[in-house]
Order: sequence, then C-alpha cells, then structure tokens
Amino acid sequence: MLVACCALVGAGLGYLLFDAIQSNHQYDRARHTLGITRATTSVVSRDLAKARIDLKLVTEQVGNDSTALAQDTSQLEGAKSALSAAQAHVLEQTSLINSLHACLGGVEQALNALAVGSQTMAANALHSVSASCSAAVNASG
Amino acid sequence: MGAVVAMAGLGVGAWYDAHAHLRAGAEQSSLKAAQHHLGVLRHRVTVTNYANTVTTNRRNDLEASIGTALAQLAGVDTSLSSANAGASLEGVSINTLDTCLGGVQTALNEVSANNNGAAANAISAVSGPCAQLDGGANAGLVYPFDFPDPDVILVGRTYYAYATNSVAGNIQIISSTDLTHWAAIGNALPSLPSWAKPDNTWAPSVTRVNGSFLMYYAAEVTASDTQCISVATASQPTGPFVDASSAPLECQQALGGSIDPSTFTDSNGLSYLLWKSGGPGSSKLWAEQLNGAGTGFAPNTTPAQLLVPDQPWEGGTVEAPDLVIANGHYFLFFSGNNWNSANYAVGVARCAGPLGPCADATPTPILSSGNGIAGPGGASVFPDTTGAPWIAFHAWVPGAVGFPNSRDLYVRRLDISGAAPSVAAPGT
Repeated sequence: MLVACCALVGAGLGYLLFDAIQSNHQYDRARHTLGITRATTSVVSRDLAKARIDLKLVTEQVGNDSTALAQDTSQLEGAKSALSAAQAHVLEQTSLINSLHACLGGVEQALNALAVGSQTMAANALHSVSASCSAAVNASG
Repeated sequence: MGAVVAMAGLGVGAWYDAHAHLRAGAEQSSLKAAQHHLGVLRHRVTVTNYANTVTTNRRNDLEASIGTALAQLAGVDTSLSSANAGASLEGVSINTLDTCLGGVQTALNEVSANNNGAAANAISAVSGPCAQLDGGANAGLVYPFDFPDPDVILVGRTYYAYATNSVAGNIQIISSTDLTHWAAIGNALPSLPSWAKPDNTWAPSVTRVNGSFLMYYAAEVTASDTQCISVATASQPTGPFVDASSAPLECQQALGGSIDPSTFTDSNGLSYLLWKSGGPGSSKLWAEQLNGAGTGFAPNTTPAQLLVPDQPWEGGTVEAPDLVIANGHYFLFFSGNNWNSANYAVGVARCAGPLGPCADATPTPILSSGNGIAGPGGASVFPDTTGAPWIAFHAWVPGAVGFPNSRDLYVRRLDISGAAPSVAAPGT
C-alpha cells in the first residue's frame, strides 16, 4: 500500500514536473518569438514612418505641380489665343498686301505699255488687276 | 508523516506547474497582440507604399504634363513672337501701304483721264511705301518702278539717275542724296528732235563737259526706223536737256543701228563715246573719241570695236557698255543675253585702253538672276561722295519677268580694286 502511494505521488510529481518543463519551453519560445516580432515591428514602424514622410512629400509635390500645371495651362491657353489673333491679323494684312501688290503690278504694267503707245496692252493690264485693286481698296477701308 | 510530505510535494509541484502555464499563457497573449500589431503595421506600410506609388506616378505624370505644357508654351511663344514681329512689320507696311494705295488710285484716275504723265508722277511719288511691296530692299532695290538702263551721276552731294522713256516722258530723271531714297523729278528731255520717233528713247548717259551737261541717248529715226544715238545739252543736271540736232550723232545703219551710248573720260582728260551696234546675233560694242565739246567725234577718228559676244552666257548679245578705270585697269561693264528674260546678266571685260582691245575678265557674269533679282542689266558704275564705287542696274522682280512688267532700279557697292570686279552682296 505504501509502495503504491509512493509510486502514485512520484508519478504525480513527475507529470507536474514534465508539464511545468513543457510550459517553460512554450514560454521561452513565445518570448523569443515575441522579441523577434517586436524587433520586426520596430523596423516596420520605421518603414511606415518613412513611407508616410515620402507620401507627404510626394503629395505636396503633386499639389505644387497641380498648381504649376494649372498656371502653365492657363498661360498656354492665353498664348494660344494671342497667337490665333496675331496669325489672323497677319493673314488679313498679307491678303491686303497681296491684293495691293497685284494691283500695283497691273498699274505699272499699264503705265509701261502706255510708255510705248500700247493702249490695248495697258487696258488689258488694268482689267486683269481690277479685282485686286478693288479688294485692296475695300480691305484698307 | 510521509503522506504529509508527499502531499506537500504534490502541492508545490502543482503550484509550480500552474505558474509555468500562467506565464506561458501570458507570453502567448503578448505574442499574439504583437503579431497582430505587426500585421496591422505591415498592412499600413503596404497601403502607404501603394499610395506612394500612385502619388509618385501622378507626380511624374504632372511633371511630364508641365514639361509638355512648358514646351508647348515655348513653341507658342516663339510662334507668337514671329507672328507679332510679322504683324509689326506688316503693320509698318500697312501704315505706309495706304500711301502706296493712294498713289496707285491717283495713277488709275489719271490713266482713266488720259493724263499719263500725271499718272507716272503719282506713282513715282509713292515709291518709298510701294518699295515694301516688292520686298526687294535686301537685294538693293531703291526705286520700285520701271527704270531701265539707268545712268547715275554725282553732282555736288546729289545723285541723279536717268533712264529709258516712260509715260512720265522721254527720259526719266530721279534724284537722291543717300542712294536709298529717290524722288522723281520728271522728264529730262521734254522735246525730241524732229527726226526722232516718239516713245522710243532709251539708255541715256549724262556727263559734264565745260560746265554743261551732255546727255547721250538712243532714239529711233522716224524715216528709216533705224536706232541711232544723239546728244542733248542742259545747263543743269535736272535739265531740261535740249537736242537741236538735225540728224543723229551715230547710226551704223549697215550694222543694224546704234544704241546704248555711254561716255568715258580717261585720266588724260580725253573723252570717249561707247555704244552697241546691231541686234541679237550681230551685236558689237564700239568706242570712239569725242571732240572737246563732246557734241561730236574728234576729227580723223573712226569707231573701234571693243567686244563681240563670245561667251555662252551672253547668248549672242552684248550691249549696254560702261567703261571705268581703276588702278590703271580699264574695266568694260556690259550686259549679255536677251533683255526681256531672266537670262540677262552683267559681265566685265578688261581693256588695254578706251579703244580696246577688250577680253572677258571672267567667263561668267558678275551679276545675274538670283537673290531677289531677275535679269539684271544696263549697269552704270559711279562714285559716291567718298569716291567709293557703286553699280546701278535694272532688274525684274522674280516672278514678274518680261515686258510690260517693270525693270526696277537697284544700287549696290562695287569692288574694282582687284583683277576682276565684284558686286557686293546686297545690304553691305
């Protein structure tokens, strides 16, 4: 009976001891993993902070660039508008000059023909530029 | 006693085991919390990195757009500057072209009323504004109206240019004090001698002899339709020149007539008349010494042949001679080829003296079509107020070649210091 009791107590103690050792091992593993996890967390936190700083920077740049682009676009539109107006003006004046040039050429031809007594050639020269002369007079107001 | 010890041992063992469980459980909880936190952080890093990538891409897109916009802006600015410069130039033109247009309108009205002389005067009066239309200022254009076979002389500080007939009269005359701005004076030869046919007076050449001005010019004899040379006199360069002759000075009827007179005074004071005889295929250049008064040839002289066409570019015709002396070299300027085409050009020959013999100084013309002119010819070499040589010539405006288009007046600097003369580039 005594022997049985001793064996039972010994077995109980052995189980408790084994279980305690298992728990301690579990604790050690958990602690080790926790240490690694905390170190990793620290690194990731730094990465996150850096990423947030980068994001803030880039977001600011986007804001600035958007403003600059808006200004440039506005300037571009203004310049395009001014260019169109200038080109239209030049076109109009070129047309007037071409008309006047043609008119002047015809009048000169007529005068040159008259210089050698060729009335018919002079009349033809004037007739051929009458439209240009009218256009020049109308365009010049 | 043993039972007590055993129970105590079991109690202690149980407590120790429970404590170990508790401690391991707590550590596991901490680990789970830490891993969850790490997971959250990693997710945030992923999200932030994604946002960073998206934002960076947007920034790059924006910067590319800005670059494009700036490039476009620069391009538009350049175009705008060009357009504005063009508009400004055109604007200047428009302001003055109104004046040109006014002159043209007046000329048209005068032509309608058969007042051809007034028409010519009206159009000549606006030569400056109208010159912009021809756009030939860079080519040396100074008078944008018909002014063929020009001859330029310097009297005091004023330049006078004479040219073939126009509706303004038998011989045109214009003047300038700067060789750039020319004003029409009118008709230098109001009346023709009785033997001459109207509307056919060409290629004048004016020289000063003993205080008087002599004008040699070509005219057609009414009776024979022969082209001949005559001379008129005036007390001042603006005329009126008077030709009281009963017959021409030189005709060479057997050679097809004589035209294109010009005078040359040698360093010894003797003067010579140069001219051309014949037509295409038979043209020749001649010279003969003039008498002291310049109204006739010196006694016992005969015409000396200077040059005949012998170069391909001349196309069988040489005409419009003009002789100058520089550094002891006699240079004979002449025109070659068909006057009514863009093939017309100016060449130079070197002569042993005023009466020749002469030979081409260069195998090609020194002045020909290109660079804003077409068919240049009728050259006249003259000094400016500093003594520097210039060349005046007529030329068609490219694209308007052939009668009844105009042969406008051009002047450019001339270099006759070397073995072969060269015409300076326009604008120099």
